[in-house]
Amino acid sequence: MKEVRGLGTLLEEVTKKHKKKQALLFEGHEVTYRELNENANKVANGLASLGLAKGDRVALMLPNIPDFVYCFFGIQKLGAVAVPFNTMYKGREITHILNDCTAKAIITLTNFANLINEVSDEVPSLEHVILTGQRTLVFVSPDATVNVQMVVAKERFGSPEDAFRVVGEILVDTLKSFGVDAWYKHRGGVRAGGRKIGTVLVSTVENLVVINALVFLGPLTMDDFFRLIWVTPEIKDKAVEPMTSVEEETGSRPDIGAFKDALLAQLYETLGIDVETGQLKRDELFGYEKTKALATRN
Amino acid sequence: MEMNSKMRLIYNEKGVVADLLAYASGLVEGRIAGKYLLSGEKLPDTVVIQGFTRKGILAGADVDIDREASRKEGIDLAFYPRSGRGGPRPVGSVALADLLKSASRKFDAVDVEPDDPAVLLYTSGTTGKPKGVTLTHRNFNAECALVEELDLLREDDRVVLVLPLFHVYALSSGLISGLYLGTTFTLVPQYSPAKLLESIARTNASVLIAVPSMYMHLLQLTKARKTTIPKSLRLCVSGGAPLSLATLREFEEAFHTGIAEGYGLTESASAVCANKSGERFKPGSIGPAPSSVRIKVVDEAGNELPAGEVGEIVLQGALITPGYWNNPEATAEAFHEGWFHTGDLGYADEEGFFFITDRKKDIIVRGGFNISPREIEELLSTHPRIEDAAVVGVRNSRDQEAVKAFVVPRKGETLTERDILSFCAENLAGYKVPKYVEFRENLPKSATGKVLRKELREELRDERLIFRE
Repeated sequence: MKEVRGLGTLLEEVTKKHKKKQALLFEGHEVTYRELNENANKVANGLASLGLAKGDRVALMLPNIPDFVYCFFGIQKLGAVAVPFNTMYKGREITHILNDCTAKAIITLTNFANLINEVSDEVPSLEHVILTGQRTLVFVSPDATVNVQMVVAKERFGSPEDAFRVVGEILVDTLKSFGVDAWYKHRGGVRAGGRKIGTVLVSTVENLVVINALVFLGPLTMDDFFRLIWVTPEIKDKAVEPMTSVEEETGSRPDIGAFKDALLAQLYETLGIDVETGQLKRDELFGYEKTKALATRN
Repeated sequence: MEMNSKMRLIYNEKGVVADLLAYASGLVEGRIAGKYLLSGEKLPDTVVIQGFTRKGILAGADVDIDREASRKEGIDLAFYPRSGRGGPRPVGSVALADLLKSASRKFDAVDVEPDDPAVLLYTSGTTGKPKGVTLTHRNFNAECALVEELDLLREDDRVVLVLPLFHVYALSSGLISGLYLGTTFTLVPQYSPAKLLESIARTNASVLIAVPSMYMHLLQLTKARKTTIPKSLRLCVSGGAPLSLATLREFEEAFHTGIAEGYGLTESASAVCANKSGERFKPGSIGPAPSSVRIKVVDEAGNELPAGEVGEIVLQGALITPGYWNNPEATAEAFHEGWFHTGDLGYADEEGFFFITDRKKDIIVRGGFNISPREIEELLSTHPRIEDAAVVGVRNSRDQEAVKAFVVPRKGETLTERDILSFCAENLAGYKVPKYVEFRENLPKSATGKVLRKELREELRDERLIFRE
């Protein structure tokens, strides 16, 4: 056998030979060997700038997209260890792997941010969560889902970490008022009996905090949705996290009005916040209409 | 405190899915000072509560959704804008795009030793938590050499890569070996039979790396739609689970191609050997040992067995993992005198071709007899009204093992337990006939299409649940 080369060096050597040749084709885009090598270099530099170095374990939870390849070879160039794992893994599976290899960083899809957030306090080694791609999927359905959003000044809830906790606890108390034995898991997971009954995602933009929460009032039947997104039959039940709803936990489903009243009561009780019903103002309506048009155009 | 005691409520009882995006972004844009300056008002902290009148999906721009089906099903679609930077960012995270934006395009690979770990891949055994298989730079170099030796990939190939790269098969035999040779890959991030077929045709692919269920799906699809079958594939590689001979033949004929069935494990950095279509093809075999790998069949004591006798397959070579990450017990259990014990049972024929019969731990022992679940599964798969079947051993109250068959009937067909039992009784020794039969709509399978017997044995706790500490 030829002399053994590191995988990072291997890519460098093949790039010298095939500079302009296509390495990857992806949804109409072409990536040459030179571009692939340069992107891997950028990843290596980027990871190094976060303090990652030779021998560190970097987890990869990505589907087959070019970013997987760039990150994989970036990690190799750094002499670090790549730990790719199944994108269908959830809570305890992820925690086990990240802890077993004491991963310092994970690179994953933006839509898995919630999943990683929720377990990150159980993975002491994890220093960096690096997000990419646009593969979020949110399902809504009449009678099954209710959405709560807040756009508030950064100071209102303290740190974003506090925002997670405050909103999580308000949702837990709201659910408890309907008789659900709900509890709040770290960073955004609202659960009942191990299953997900609600999610909270906290984002920041400039001086604002944006909170987006979804709560399941009734059972969400997934079959309709899977007619639009093809998933092999045997993994269908794995594609989504086990979920539950107020109806499944208590036998009855509150209507949205009852949920609204209960949530507002909690806002007042817990935070002393009094709400006044209003409408979007002109500036807001402008942004609203523009976003709606962009989101639904074909 | 005065400011904090008030918030505005926007109550949107009859919302649609696009409102999920539109409200948040309207509120943000209104608040970010001077964006439009239409009203000049100071805008308050706001809570939006909304319900929905119709079903809807809010999807990232990269999600592949059947738009025609969405119209038919009456499900609304909304997509996140593609703009990468500047929008709201989940807290506690870094955007890869931001990280790369300021990074240099130049970097010289850090020097590594051949036996430094390059990758850890976690595999689930039948018991216990997933173990991390350590794969070194040496292991991957060996796999590259093997793929070249077996002529699975060539420099001028265009390869469709639909199998997940987090799995050893696509990562090692596919991506790494292919890039080493200078091939071109088409990445398919989301599998559907139609998308795969379209990718093969559009890119004029010369090699497909897939698992048995995908070959079956492609055949079903081309039959159902009577579509033109692309004839560009010079070779197909199948692995991950055994491919039935009937499917193999039918696929080769329909697609004018040859299928190489590979055998390998995560612990061997993917493929160890392959049974290639052509002169040296032997039905049911995994092929002979390539020059870089040593394969033998041993008995319980580790003695090599003569041709034709079934024992455990053991491996040696530069492909083989140095062991499990931080798990010397599991490593010691898997290696004996330098040979890696695969846990697969099989035999070699007189010409040195290997055959796998079963997984060691799947063997059912009944009244002192060993029963091969695979033998019963293969019989069941020949039944015209059976789509798929799996056989496992279950323990009764006296801790004796009994055979249980899980059967997936073909669409539109009905089967009774008696049908199954009499079919087995006609074709099998009495002690092999299942004691229990359960009908299912589908079988639990791994990412590569391997039946997850552990789940069928109902030993599995739902690992996906999250519990209170």
